[in-house]
Amino acid sequence: MKKRVSEKKRHVVAWVNKAEWDQVLEYLYSKDSSLQRHALHRISAWKCRYTSSCPVAVDCTADLVRCQALDRSGQLEGDDLVLLYGAALVRFVNLITERQQGKTARPLRRLAGNLNIPEWVVDLRHDFTHRKLPTLKWCRKGCNVVLEWLQHEYWSRQLGGGPSEDWESQSNGEDDETDLRRQEDELIARQKEMEAYKNARKLLISFEKEQYQAFDGLPEDREKSLWPAPFADMSWLLGEIKQLALESSDLLIEVLLEDGFLVPTVEQLQTLGCDTSASPTEPRLPQTFLRFWLPLLKMLNSPAIVHLLLEKLFVELKLLAKEQKDHRAFYLSAWISEFVFCNSNKFEYHFETKGQKKDRMKDRIFVNRIQLRWQQLLSACLDAPCISTPHLLQLILDDMEHPLPLETRQRLLQLCSIYTQTAHSNFDPSQEQKQQPIYTLESLHEKLQRSRHHSQPWRSRADSERSESSQENKSADAWAERAKLLRGSPWQVCADKVLWKNYPLGKVPGQSDDPSCLMLENYSTMTVFDQPVELETNTARSAPGMSAPVRTADGLLWNHSDVNKLKSGLQLF
Amino acid sequence: MKVNKTTQAKGSAKSQKWKDVRAKRCRPPVRSSELDSAPAPVMARMIKEHQAAAKKKPTVKRLQIKAKPVTDPKKNTPQSRPKKPYSQANGSAALRMDNESEDSQEWKAYSQSIHGNGVETSADAEDVRPGRLEGEALHYCTERDDQQNHAVLVMHKDQTLCFRGKCSLTCLYGRVEVMGFTIEEGQQSYPLFSPASHCPLTIRAVETPANTRDHKSAASHILRKYLSSASQKKLLKRVTSNSSVILLEPMETPLTRFLSSFAELSELFSPPMSELVSAVLDTPLNGLGVIPLVRAIDGLKMSKSYSDALNTVVSACRGDMDGCAVILVCGTKNVGKSTFIRTLVNTLLNHTTCVDYLECDLGQTEFTPAGCLSLSVVREPLLGPPFTHQCTPEHMIYYGQSSCESDLDRYLESLKSLWRRRSPSRETPVVINTMGWVKGFGFQLLVDMIRLFPVSHVVQLGHGGVTQCPALTPEFLRTAHGCQTHPPAQTALDELTESHTPPRSYAHLIVQSEFQGVARQGTAKHQRSNEQRELSLLAYLSQLQSPDPGPVRPLHTLTPYQVPHSAVALGVSHCEVMPSHMFYAANAALVGLCCLGEKITSRGGPVLLTQGPICPCVGFGVLRGIDMARGLYFLLTPVDPSILRKVNCLLLGAVSLPSCILSTQPGFEGEMPYVTSDYSFDHTGAGKLRVFKGLTRPSQIAMQ
Repeated sequence: MKKRVSEKKRHVVAWVNKAEWDQVLEYLYSKDSSLQRHALHRISAWKCRYTSSCPVAVDCTADLVRCQALDRSGQLEGDDLVLLYGAALVRFVNLITERQQGKTARPLRRLAGNLNIPEWVVDLRHDFTHRKLPTLKWCRKGCNVVLEWLQHEYWSRQLGGGPSEDWESQSNGEDDETDLRRQEDELIARQKEMEAYKNARKLLISFEKEQYQAFDGLPEDREKSLWPAPFADMSWLLGEIKQLALESSDLLIEVLLEDGFLVPTVEQLQTLGCDTSASPTEPRLPQTFLRFWLPLLKMLNSPAIVHLLLEKLFVELKLLAKEQKDHRAFYLSAWISEFVFCNSNKFEYHFETKGQKKDRMKDRIFVNRIQLRWQQLLSACLDAPCISTPHLLQLILDDMEHPLPLETRQRLLQLCSIYTQTAHSNFDPSQEQKQQPIYTLESLHEKLQRSRHHSQPWRSRADSERSESSQENKSADAWAERAKLLRGSPWQVCADKVLWKNYPLGKVPGQSDDPSCLMLENYSTMTVFDQPVELETNTARSAPGMSAPVRTADGLLWNHSDVNKLKSGLQLF
Repeated sequence: MKVNKTTQAKGSAKSQKWKDVRAKRCRPPVRSSELDSAPAPVMARMIKEHQAAAKKKPTVKRLQIKAKPVTDPKKNTPQSRPKKPYSQANGSAALRMDNESEDSQEWKAYSQSIHGNGVETSADAEDVRPGRLEGEALHYCTERDDQQNHAVLVMHKDQTLCFRGKCSLTCLYGRVEVMGFTIEEGQQSYPLFSPASHCPLTIRAVETPANTRDHKSAASHILRKYLSSASQKKLLKRVTSNSSVILLEPMETPLTRFLSSFAELSELFSPPMSELVSAVLDTPLNGLGVIPLVRAIDGLKMSKSYSDALNTVVSACRGDMDGCAVILVCGTKNVGKSTFIRTLVNTLLNHTTCVDYLECDLGQTEFTPAGCLSLSVVREPLLGPPFTHQCTPEHMIYYGQSSCESDLDRYLESLKSLWRRRSPSRETPVVINTMGWVKGFGFQLLVDMIRLFPVSHVVQLGHGGVTQCPALTPEFLRTAHGCQTHPPAQTALDELTESHTPPRSYAHLIVQSEFQGVARQGTAKHQRSNEQRELSLLAYLSQLQSPDPGPVRPLHTLTPYQVPHSAVALGVSHCEVMPSHMFYAANAALVGLCCLGEKITSRGGPVLLTQGPICPCVGFGVLRGIDMARGLYFLLTPVDPSILRKVNCLLLGAVSLPSCILSTQPGFEGEMPYVTSDYSFDHTGAGKLRVFKGLTRPSQIAMQ
C-alpha cells in the first residue's frame, strides 16, 4: 500500500565530475610518484573545498600515499619514514574504526575485525603508540595492505551507484548484537501489527455480516421507518471495535478505507439496493449505504477520530490521483463531504417540522460541531486534486471557523476548478466577475507597476502603457548604473551575451569536461603581511587606571606574533 | 578642579544627548479633517507611507517618555494581580471621567464593576488577566480585516502573545515590548521573525504612561482606519485605559522568498515538532503567518539575575559615565549570550540611536556570515535571529574559520586590528560578544580580551548556579594569564605604587540562565549551529534577489561581475593548497572580498597569496566560474559596485556555500559540477571525521 519514490539524493562533493574522481583514483594508485603527487595536490584542493567534512577514507589514503611517494623519492632516511608511516597508519586504524565505536570504548581489534582489516595491522598500530617502533619493512608492508584495503572497500565501490544516505544521518554502525536485537524487535513489531490488522479486518467483516442480516430481514419499502435495533452480538462487536479504535485508531482507519468497507464493492451496493449513478462532481453517499455504517461511525465519533479519518481520506484520495479509479475516488470524496456536512452548522431547513428534523439528525454521524483543524484540512484537500475537489473545497471553505476573505475564497475555487477541469459547475463566477478583463502576464506587470507608483494616484493610460517597457529597461538601467560605478577599476559587469541560466555554478561557456582544464601552469605568487590600520589620530587612549604592563603588546614595535608572521611570510613555495 | 569641570561639561552634553529625544521616526501626523473628508485616498497614502517608512533607512527612534526598566512580569505581578481592576468595557463611564486622572479612573471602573453588577457588560467582555493570549482569548481581542489582510489586536497590560512565524508589527495605540525593545504608537512598523530555529518571540503589552487622552475615542479613531465598523465595535469594547492596540500584517521580503525556494527550509517559520501540540491553530492570526503558542511554551525566560544585569548595564549607559560603556558578554556554549545581547541592544536602543557591536564569536555571528570578526553599528532593533538581520558592518575581517582554535594569535591580532579602526572619540556604548569556548586557551583568550579592550562591564553568564569557568572579576584579572597578555610582575615597587594608581576596574555581573535546555544545543531541525550558519549565508546571498516581488531567481541565472585573474589576488586562509591546483579549490566557492593595501602586480597569470593576511573584508561573493581562456573570474556578489571596485583580493575560507545552493539549481536534469547522486555513504570511510567527546572506557563503567 505504501509507495515511496526513492529518488537518489544529491550530494555536494569536492570533485567537479566523475572524470576528476577517476583521474585522482588512477594517479593515487599508480606507481609513479610524480602522478601520485599530482593526485595529492588535487586532494589538497578537495580538502579546502570540504573544509571539515572530507571523507575519512580520502584523508587516510592521501596520508598513506604521501608516505609512499616520499619513500620512493629517496630523499628521506629510514627513521624519518618510520615516523611518517607511523602517523599515517595510526590515524588510519583509529579514524576508520571511529564510526564503529559506540558510547563506550571497544577494543580496536574487534572493530577492525568487523571491517576485515587484518589483525596484524592493528598490532602494528599498537606498536607505534605503545611499544618499540616497527621496522621500515613492516611499515611499507602495512601501508601497502591498508592502501589495498582502501581501494577495495572505498574507492572501487564509490560512485558506482547504490543507496545513499546523508552525511549526517549515516548509521552509526552499531554492534552486531544490537543490530540483531533490533532486527528481532522489528520482526516482532511487524508480527504484532499483522495480527492487529487481521483482527481489525475480522471485526469489520463481522460487523458487515450483522448489518447485512439486519438489512435483509427488512422489507425494502419500509426501510426508512424502521431502524434495526442492534442485536446483542452487534453491541459486543461495537464494543470490540471501540476498544480497537482506542488502541490503534490508525490501523482501524486504514482497514476501514480499504476496498469493501467504507468504499463498497459493486456487489455490496447491489445487495443494499443502491443505485450507482450519481454525479461525480458532487458525490453524495447513497442513504442506505450511509445507514449501513452509521452504528459504527456513531460509536467511533470523537474529534480525534473524525480528524484522523478525514486526513486519511484525503491521503487516500491523493494516492488515487495517478491511478484513476473513479469508483474509489467517488466514495472517498462522498465520505469527506458527509463528514464536513455533518459538521456544518448552517440551518437551511427553517421550515421543517420537528419530526423531519429528527429524521434528519438521525442520519447524521455526529450532531455537535467539532473544532476541526481547518488549515490542515484545507491544505490536505488542495493536495489531493480530483474531479470533486471544487465541491469539497467549497464545503470546507464555507465551514471554516475563520473564513478566508471572500475574494480569496472565490479565487481559490476558480483556480481549483480550472485545475480539475470542472469549470461552470455550481459556482459560476458572478456577473461582476465575468465582466472583469482576462489577466495576462503583461497586464499583471502593469498592475504591479501601477501599485508601486502609488504616489501619482491615477495615471493616464499612456503612462501605464509606457510602464511596461520601462520595466524591461529598468534592469538594464540598473546594470548600466553599476557599470558606471565600476569604471576605472578592473571590475566590470559581464557584458557577454550569455544565457547564464544554461550554465550551472562552476561552469562557464566553452569550458570542457576535461578534469585538468583548471590547472594553472603560469601564475605569480605574492606575500602580503597583515594590513596596518590607517589611524585617524594615533593618540594612545588613556583609559583611567589602565596599568602600563598590560599594554606592553602595543608598546613593542613588533610583538611575538608579528615576528611569527614575518617568519612565515618569508616561506615561499 | 580642572578635571572635574571637563567631565561635568561632557556629562551634561551627554545627558543632553540621551534626553533630547523626539520621535523622528514617527510618521507625519494625520489631521482628522483630512481623514474625514477623503478617507480612502488618505488611507491609501498612509499605508503607502507606512510601508515606505518601513523600507526607508530610518533616522531616529526615541520614546516619548522613558521606557520602563526591564522586569520579568512573572516575577513581579503576583502581589498586584488580585487587585487588578476588572476592565470595564463601559463607554459612557469612560466618557464622563474624561478629565480625571488615570488612577481614579481605574478606581472608579473597579468600583463600578463591583456595584454595577454587570448590567451593561456584554457577554464577551471577559475579565482581563495578565498572561499569555491563547485560544479563546485571542478570538475576543483580535479582529482580522479580510479586505486589507491584516489583523488588529487589543492587548492589556502584561498580556503576552508568543508565536512562531513572521509578520510586521505596528503599534497603533499604547506600547508593546518585544525582546526588550519598546514599540509605541506612531513609530514605524517593525519586522518580527520567529522561526523554528530559535526561542519564540513574545509581544508583551506594557504600561502606557499616564496621558490625558480619552482612550475610547482615541482608539476608535485609530481603529476606524483599519477595520470594518462591526469589528471596530467589537474591539472597542475591549479597549481600556491601559490597553495597547497593535496591527499585524503578513510580511514577505526577498529574504523569506529566497529561503522558501529551498525545499528543506519550507517549514522554517512553522513551529518545530516539539511545539506542534502547543500551537494554536484557527485563530484570526494564522492566515497572516503568525502561529500563537499556548502558555506551556516559554518565550524568553529572564531570571532575576538576568534582568538585574540588564538594568545595571542600561542604567550605567544612561548615566553620566566617564568614557563610553564597553560591555563584554561571556559564558559557555548555549547559555544564552546572543539572546542576552539582543535584549541588551534592544533595550539600549530605547534610549539611544545606535549601539556599537564587536563580534568576537566566529561561529555564531550576529550580522555577518560565520568566520568573520566585525564591528557594527546597530541602529535597528534585533527582532529575530541573526539570519534575519544580516547587514554590512563598519569594519570586518574575514578570519575564514568558524572557530579560532587553529590560530589564536591571528584571532587576537584581528580583534586588535578591528578595535584600532574604531574612532577613539566615539561615545556610543559598545557590546562585545565572545565565543562559548571558556576552557583552556579559550578562557585565556577571554582574559586577553578583557585586558585589550577598555571594558567597563563584564557580564558572565552561567547555568546551574555556577559559571563553568573562574569568575572574571577584576581581582582575578590581576593575577590571571592570557595567551598574549600577562599580569604585571608583582614587585615591591609595584606594591608601593599601587596605592597611587589603582588597577583598571570594571563591574563584574554574574547572570544565571534558567531556561529549559540551557547549555544544550537544540536538536530539532534548523537548531544545530551548522544549520544556523547556513541560514546566515543564505540570508546574505538573498540580497542578490531583486527587492521587487516576483519569482525567486536562482544564483546561476544572475549576470555576474567579471575581473581579470591578474587584477585580484587569490588566497586561502584555512589550509594549504598547491598553487597549480588553486582553481580547483576556488571554482564555485564562497570567497571573502578583501582590500589589500599593496598593489597587485602580476608577472603573468593569476596572483596567488602565499598565506591569508589579516585584511579588511567588505563582503562575500560566489566565484561563479573561471574563464581559463580569457583569464577572467566571474563573481556574484551583493556588494555595492562603488565598494566592489576597491576589492583586490579574494580570500577562500573554511566557510563553504550551503550545499542547497549547489544542489538546488533548477533547470539541470543531468550533471552539474560538484553535485552527484552516486556517492554512497554506506561504505566504510565515506563520511566525514566524527569526533567523539565523552567516550567512556569500560573500566569507568565498572567503577560506577
